[in-house]
Amino acid sequence: MSDSASTSPLRRSVRQTRDRMVTALITAGGIGVIVAVMGIGIFLAVEVLPLFWSSDIEMASLWQAQSYQGLESPAHRWQPALLEGDGEPRFGMLPLVWGTLEAAAWSLVMAVPLALGAAAHSALFMSPRLRDRLRPTLELMEAMPGVVIGFIAGLVLAPWLDDHLAFGVVLVLLLPPGLLLAGGLLRRRLPMGWAALWLMPWLLVLWWVASWLAPWLEAWWFNGSLRTWLEVHLGLEYANRNAIIVGMAMGFAVMPSIYALAEDALSGVPANLVEGAEALGATRWQTLWRVVLPAAAPGVFSAVMIGAGRAVGETMIVLMASGNTALMTTNPLDGLRSMAASIAIELPEAAPGGTHYRLLLLAALLLFAFTFLVNTLAEVVRSRLRRRYRRLEGAP
Amino acid sequence: MTVMQHTAHGSRALIDFSPQATSLEVRDFGLRYGDKTALSNLTLRVPRHRVTAFIGPSGCGKSTLLRALNRLHDLNETVTREGSIHLEGQDIHASSMVVAELRRRVGMVFQVPNPFPMSIYDNVAFGLRLQGHLPKRQVDDVVEWALQSAALWDEVKDRLRASAWSLSGGQQQRLVIARTLAVGPEVLLLDEPASALDPISSLKVEELIRNLKSTLTLVLVTHNMQQAARVSDYTAFLQDGELVEYGPTDTLFTNPRLARTENYITGRMA
Amino acid sequence: MREQASTPGDALATQEGRPAVASRRGRSPRGEGPWAWLAAGSVATSLALLALLLGLLAVRGLGHFWPADVALVTLDDGRQLAGRAVKEAPLPDQEGRERLYRVGNRDLDGDIWEWVALERIQGIARPADLVVLERRRWGEFMGRLVAIESASGERLVGDAAWPALKERLAVLEDARQQIARLRQETLPPLVRRVEGGQASPEERAALASAQAQLAARQAALPGDTLVLKSVGGRSLRQPLTEVVRALQPNDMGPVEKLVSWGQGVWRFLSEGPRAANSAGGVWPAIFGTVLMVVLMSIFVMPFGVLAAVYLNEVAHQGRLIRWVRIGVRNLAGVPSIVYGVFGLGVFVYGIGGRLDTWFFEASLPSPTFGTGGLLWASLTLALLTLPVVIVATEEGLARIPASQREGALALGATRAEMLGRVVLPMTLPAMLTGVILAVARAAGEVAPLMLVGVAKLAPQVPVDGEFPYLHLERKFMHLGHHIFDSAFHGSDVQATLPLIYATALLLVVVILVLNLTAIFLRHYLRGRHGTRPTY
Repeated sequence: MSDSASTSPLRRSVRQTRDRMVTALITAGGIGVIVAVMGIGIFLAVEVLPLFWSSDIEMASLWQAQSYQGLESPAHRWQPALLEGDGEPRFGMLPLVWGTLEAAAWSLVMAVPLALGAAAHSALFMSPRLRDRLRPTLELMEAMPGVVIGFIAGLVLAPWLDDHLAFGVVLVLLLPPGLLLAGGLLRRRLPMGWAALWLMPWLLVLWWVASWLAPWLEAWWFNGSLRTWLEVHLGLEYANRNAIIVGMAMGFAVMPSIYALAEDALSGVPANLVEGAEALGATRWQTLWRVVLPAAAPGVFSAVMIGAGRAVGETMIVLMASGNTALMTTNPLDGLRSMAASIAIELPEAAPGGTHYRLLLLAALLLFAFTFLVNTLAEVVRSRLRRRYRRLEGAP
Repeated sequence: MTVMQHTAHGSRALIDFSPQATSLEVRDFGLRYGDKTALSNLTLRVPRHRVTAFIGPSGCGKSTLLRALNRLHDLNETVTREGSIHLEGQDIHASSMVVAELRRRVGMVFQVPNPFPMSIYDNVAFGLRLQGHLPKRQVDDVVEWALQSAALWDEVKDRLRASAWSLSGGQQQRLVIARTLAVGPEVLLLDEPASALDPISSLKVEELIRNLKSTLTLVLVTHNMQQAARVSDYTAFLQDGELVEYGPTDTLFTNPRLARTENYITGRMA
Repeated sequence: MREQASTPGDALATQEGRPAVASRRGRSPRGEGPWAWLAAGSVATSLALLALLLGLLAVRGLGHFWPADVALVTLDDGRQLAGRAVKEAPLPDQEGRERLYRVGNRDLDGDIWEWVALERIQGIARPADLVVLERRRWGEFMGRLVAIESASGERLVGDAAWPALKERLAVLEDARQQIARLRQETLPPLVRRVEGGQASPEERAALASAQAQLAARQAALPGDTLVLKSVGGRSLRQPLTEVVRALQPNDMGPVEKLVSWGQGVWRFLSEGPRAANSAGGVWPAIFGTVLMVVLMSIFVMPFGVLAAVYLNEVAHQGRLIRWVRIGVRNLAGVPSIVYGVFGLGVFVYGIGGRLDTWFFEASLPSPTFGTGGLLWASLTLALLTLPVVIVATEEGLARIPASQREGALALGATRAEMLGRVVLPMTLPAMLTGVILAVARAAGEVAPLMLVGVAKLAPQVPVDGEFPYLHLERKFMHLGHHIFDSAFHGSDVQATLPLIYATALLLVVVILVLNLTAIFLRHYLRGRHGTRPTY
């Protein structure tokens, strides 16, 4: 029978040649694709380099306050003279960097507590059945396009907060004590594993309480209008689209990715550690705080880093919710303009090869370098952590 | 017929066959994973149309040796080797030897059955189709012959188009053997082929091995002493990457020359 | 033991040599402390926010097409207005509340909104004869139909007018469709050939006849005029050709309304935008999005798989490859706008500019490929989503057990054969997952498209009957950008808002469906490879 399978030398060499060709193709294609993708950084660097020896602009002047015509004191300004026509263009990169970091910082302020709380709850307390459903749900949240979130933030949330500022503030302030109260009242009757679901109607109750409390509070404490009070007493002017709104919207966008990575880190802590602590009589929360969190801290850290990377580069949300005013203020109720948004708005209009064009590319290079470094750092930390978990699990 | 040699620097055994009766010959073969030595200084001859068993404790290198016989280590870049292996007098690492052709001639069956996620028929025809386009009739014939040789035909002839993964473990292992037979190998390497199976399936596979030796040279790695004693003609005992003793199975099991061998066999069999 | 557990302090103190430790008071047996509830609350809050967002989009997006009743509001000074209530708010600087009505009739009143203080409202009625007209210009009309006058002078008044209007509108719709077909499909290629000077005499003749046909059809459009009267008493003569749709919402039953709602949704999906994107449908945007995403998949699939196979199967698994792999993974986290910059600099200005000087010199200085377009947009997004596909495929490859590869090799397969016949077919679901995730990501990306080729309003879709049928250099419309554009560059955002909601809902639904598919595929995949065949 074996004669039917015996092979001709010709056929053999054809197969071998084909194997070599396929391998060569894969190698060439693979390296080509990888080089092309990696080429982004190189392209940006090459395009930005001429700035250093161009006479049009001093690199140092980008980062220092400059005295401009019509201004009393030196200031940081980003006014690339798109509209004015006359006057000199003002290229101060600092307001853009500031806006970018401010937006990212506020979004982390919103996202990190939510994400870490959710991660801790689903890693240690939640019923496994609910957890299996929660992950894909939050993945869907992550997939929500930025333009939709930006639209909701800029056109729905911003005007609504404009009208209901006190209500919003009260709601946010009421949330933590309200949830604690729910725990105190209901914990014996309802299982902790499903708390995430049965707290939802409770949130409605809190909403209602806040809406009842807000006008009353506003009338008594803030002389009838929170906005006026803020302006008079704290000197904070309220802009319709401001850093807080950007922070809320981007926090919503960033929260799921922080959650997913932090949850991975927390639930990846070897079970024997957790069981060891619980066997000593620790409550779940003590276990979390004293054993799981220290063990998973690098993973949680890298989750936040990746969240920061996303927040820094997000374009549409900032573009639509921030007002795009290149300011440098610490007032969170003022507008801002980020690097990504500037690129999106100005680059199509900037003349290729000009100073403005190259400066926008510099902004892109900064974004690229920042996110790439942050992500690499996070990835290295994460892989270290995985190795540590494997060691902790140890040999049986 | 058999000459045992015991050298000072290690155990070195040689069964003195006439070259005509030798299928595979291993000469001064050594193999390392990175800087960990897995096999050293092995020399042995595998007789044609016989069943040769490799036994020894876990990690002694018996599976490593088996995989070296059809160059499966080529995939692993950390592996370095010395010495040579000859199939019918031809160096298997020679540049004239095409590795795919070598593997066709030296088939291998693994510990856990690994049928491909395709139909039973396609699994058996897989190797055949690699060799080029054959008329369907011919493929049909070979598939039937291979399944019959592997004693599986009667169980699957009505569902050749069913997924191979729907078979039981024992059937899957015989399917894998049939798949290997279909390409017409000269040598069949079996890496603990019955260890993942229940006793009845295991017996069926053993019976199959005994039947196959009329046309094939078989090399069997096993943990199971009784199995080695039941099916093999010759047995090699390996320990720590070295060949300790090699001889006819009857002699090795009843009257081992070395204390190490005896300890292992009796320790396990007691 | 039970007693010991309830008083741990005492129990421990009895242990010899161990110092007594007082048990902390106030710790209930199941007590997790208060903080655990905050953690649970953050899950609940996140889910609530997601539900709120989706619910808002669904209600507002779908509700827009519902032919809601029109209220006839009588004020305390006897004035009347007809409109639909939108929202309520407290009156500025005084007690009481006011209500915002969408009253339409921009051509009569200059604005389509009217705030009414609640206390001024004397009565609200819903008379059946109130008519809502959707028009090509000036938005909606709400009021009464007095008469319909045909070009020949025939005049139908009163009850006869409404049925006549419906009937003529149907005729008009047919004629419009024929004209649109002539204008969009038959004429443009002919015109371009003639303008380019390459037309044959037959083509010139065809053009002439098509133009004549068009003129004839336009002349044959019903020349009726509607005589309308707003509830405020102002009259209006409205040419029928400007009317898109006519409804009497107060006279419709629930079933009729549902049908009308379905028609509204269908029009939204199948028609082009009107009035500077503030009305009409989103068909060109759907088409552009889908086309761009399909092209992107065609680019990204082979290259992503190639790179993954190289990384996982062919490359020497050393330190370098480990770093390259981390690098590729991290590229997924690089902001999309950076890819847009790369696309603009390299594809549009670099390659596109070069192509223009080589092949399209005739049309310079107006660029052909040297400006954003379909090709560059899909290439940019392919680059953007490449890491997604590479990572997913690599995961799929890594999950295939070594025994399958060895099985193939042991049968004498070469590496190419092993890959092609065993490994890649088994990886197929993973690759599909990767591509679906890539598509889902690409469909929602807007920022890079703003740099490399999206258009506010592209009258022509990039596919037509003219060679080469698919016009890679053309700009195209995109759902996401449509949202951005109509939200930020419209004149009356409040009026456009419902349409933006609907567009956003559409985009979200598309993306959610894609993601769900990927999630299920991955689930199925884990199920299949997680449980090996049973023995």
